[in-house]
Amino acid sequence: MEENLREKLLKAFEGKLTKTIAMYLETCSRCGICTTSCHVFNSMPRPEYSPAARAEVVRRLYKKYFKLQGKFWPSLGEAKPLDDTALDDLDRAAYSCTGCRRCMTFCPFGIDTQQIMSIAKLILVAAHAEPEILSMLADVSISKGESIDLIKQGFIDGLERLEGEVVEKWKIDAEKIPIPTEVQEADILYVALAGAHSIIPSAAIFNAACENWTLSFFEAVNFGAFVGDPGKTRLIMDRIINEANRLNVKEVCICECGTAFRVLKQMSGKQSFKISSITEVHARYIREKRIKLEKNRFKGIITYHDPCQIARNAGIMDEPRYIIKHLTDNFTDLSKKPEENWCCGGGGGLVAMGQDSHDFRMKSSKVKADQVKATHASILVTACENCHSQLSDLNKYYKMGVEVKFLSSMVADSLI
Amino acid sequence: MDTLNYIILVPMVYFSFAVFVAGVLYRIAAILKKPSITIPLNVYPQKKPAWLHALADTFLMPAVFKAKPVMWFFLIVFHASIFLLIIGHIELIHSFSIFQIIEHDIFLGRGFVGLTLFISLLYFLFRRFSSNARNLSVPEDYFLLILLLLTIILGSELDWARTWFGYQEMTVDGYQTYLKSMLLFKPDISDVTYSGHTFMLVFHVFFANLFILFFPFSKMMHAIFTIPLNKIRRG
Ligand code: HEM
Ligand code: SF4
Ligand code: SF4
Repeated sequence: MEENLREKLLKAFEGKLTKTIAMYLETCSRCGICTTSCHVFNSMPRPEYSPAARAEVVRRLYKKYFKLQGKFWPSLGEAKPLDDTALDDLDRAAYSCTGCRRCMTFCPFGIDTQQIMSIAKLILVAAHAEPEILSMLADVSISKGESIDLIKQGFIDGLERLEGEVVEKWKIDAEKIPIPTEVQEADILYVALAGAHSIIPSAAIFNAACENWTLSFFEAVNFGAFVGDPGKTRLIMDRIINEANRLNVKEVCICECGTAFRVLKQMSGKQSFKISSITEVHARYIREKRIKLEKNRFKGIITYHDPCQIARNAGIMDEPRYIIKHLTDNFTDLSKKPEENWCCGGGGGLVAMGQDSHDFRMKSSKVKADQVKATHASILVTACENCHSQLSDLNKYYKMGVEVKFLSSMVADSLI
Repeated sequence: MDTLNYIILVPMVYFSFAVFVAGVLYRIAAILKKPSITIPLNVYPQKKPAWLHALADTFLMPAVFKAKPVMWFFLIVFHASIFLLIIGHIELIHSFSIFQIIEHDIFLGRGFVGLTLFISLLYFLFRRFSSNARNLSVPEDYFLLILLLLTIILGSELDWARTWFGYQEMTVDGYQTYLKSMLLFKPDISDVTYSGHTFMLVFHVFFANLFILFFPFSKMMHAIFTIPLNKIRRG
C-alpha cells in the first residue's frame, strides 16, 4: 500500500475517534462473553465471527497507530500495520456483521461492535474497497434525488396506477385523493420505499384514519448508511428533512425500514417535526380508535420478528405487540425479551448485496431459522423491508413453512 | 543485593506510581479532548433512572450472570477481592478503626482474599486456553494475568508464612514504618530488609510495580472506562 493512501485511511480512522469510540477501543478485556451472543458465531462457530474478534481487527490498527503500547511493544497486543491484508480483514469483519448490536447487551462494558465496524467500513470506503454494489445503490439514490424535478411527473403517473388499487380494495370516498403528494402543512409526510407494497397498504390505513397526509418523493432506505459513508448518509437523509421543512409538515413517518428510521430518528438532530415509525403511527390510530381492525382474520399462530434497528436500537417494542393484540388471539413471542431476539441476518447492507451475500446470509442465520421453527407459527410478521427479504429467503432455504408478512399489510387487510 | 532491594523498594515504587497516576490521568484527558459523538448509542428498553441501572450493570454484571454464570461468579469474587485487597494495603500504611469492624490482625479475610484471588486468576488463565477464549487472547492478556498471579502468590505467602511458621519478623508495624516513610518521601526500608523473608517482599513489590506501571497502557483501563461506557449503553 502506498504511503499517502495509508495516511488518507488513517485520517479517516482518526476522524472516527470520538470519546465513546476511543473508549470502546481501549476497553475490551477479550473475555469472550459476547462470542455466543452473535447469531453469526452461533450459526457458524468460527473464531473470526466472535464480535470481539471482529472488533480486534480494527483494534489492532488502533494499537499500532494511536496507542503508546503498540508503538513500544506491538507484539504484546498483536498490533498490525494497515496494509492490503488489513483491508481484506476489515472487509471480512465488517461485512459479516449485521450491526444488530445484540452483542453489546451482553458485554460487561457495553462495547458497541456496530460502531467499531463503522470504522472498518469507513476505511474501506476511503480505500475504494467497499462492496461496489452498495456504493452504486447509494449513488443511484442520490442522483435520483438531484434530478427530482425530472422524475416527479413519472413518479406521479406511477402513483395513479397504484391509486386504482387502493380505491378498489379499500373503498375510499371518491372525493379524496387516494395517494396525495405535495400537500403543504400536512400532518404527516410519509416516506415509503420504491414498491407498491410499501405504499398501497399504508395509503389505505392513512385514509381509513382520515389522516391529512402526503407522500414523499424520496425513498426512505439509506444505502449510504449500509456502506458506512457518512457523507452519502447525510445527503440521502437531508433530502427528506428538506422536503419536510419545505412542506412544513408536523410529523415525518418512516415506512417499514429499520435503517431509514434509525438514521433519521437518531442522526438528524433537532427538527421542527416529529419523527415516527409507521408502526408507532398505526398503534396510535388503534389507541385513538381512528381505525378499527377485525380480529382473527388471519388464522394460525402468529409471531413477530423485532427488527434490530427498530426494537433494540430504537425502542419500538411495545407498539407492534399492541397492534398484533388487535389482530389475533394467537400470538407467540420469538424470544423471552424482545431485545434478545436474534437478528434476521440481513442487516448492515447484506440483503442489499443480494446474491453476493446469499450463501453467507443463509448459513449465518441458522439460529434465526431454528428460533422461528420452534414457535410452530404459520405467520411470521415483521416491520422492516430488509428483515422481510431476509426472512423470506430463510423461509425458502430452511423450509420454515411460514408466511412472511409485513405488519402494515396485515393491518390494512384487517381494516373494517 | 542491598542495592537491588533498595532500587525495587524505593525508586521503582515511586517511578511506577508516578507513571501510573500520570498515565491514567493522561489517558483520561486524551479521551476527554476528543469530540463527542452526536448520535445516541444506548440500547432499549430504557429503564429509569439510567445511572442507577448503569451502576448495577457495572458492579453486578447481570448480563454476564445470564450468559456465563461460572464466569460471573469468578468475576465478582475476583473484583470484590481486589477491593478488599486495596483496603488491606491501605491498612499497611495506617490502621483505620473503621476497617476493624470485623476484627483482624492483618488483611480482612485472614488470608482468604489472597486465596480467592489466586483461584480466580487461575480460572481466568485456564479459561484462556479453552478454544473460544484462546482465539481472542493476545499476549497482553496472559502477561497481565501472570504478573498478577506472581504478585498475589508472593503477597499471600508473606501473610501465610507468618502464620504457618510463627514468624515474628516483618509484621504490620514494619510494613507501616516502611510505607509511611515512603509516603513522607523519607524512605526507610530498615524494618523490612533485615529478615530472611525480605526477598519475598522484594519480588512481590517488583511484580506489583510492573503491573501498575503497565496499567495505563493496557486493557486495565477498563477499571475506569467501564462506568461511562455502561452509562452510555443505558442512555
Ligand atoms: C467496577 C468496574 C470493573 C468491571 C465492571 C470489571 C470487569 C471485568 C471483566 C468483565 C473482566 C473480564 C475477565 C477476563 O478478561 O477474562 C475483568 C477482568 C479483570 N479485571 Fe476488572 N472490572 C472492573 C474493575 C477492575 C479494577 C478496579 C481492577 C483493578 C485492579 C480490575 C482488574 C481486573 C483484572 C486484573 C482482570 C483480569 C484480566 C484477564 O482476565 O485477563 N478490574 N474485569
Ligand atoms: S452487531 Fe450483531 S452481527 Fe455484529 S458482531 Fe454484534 S451480534 Fe454479531
Ligand atoms: S464481551 Fe465485551 S469485553 Fe468481553 S470480549 Fe466481548 S467486547 Fe470484549
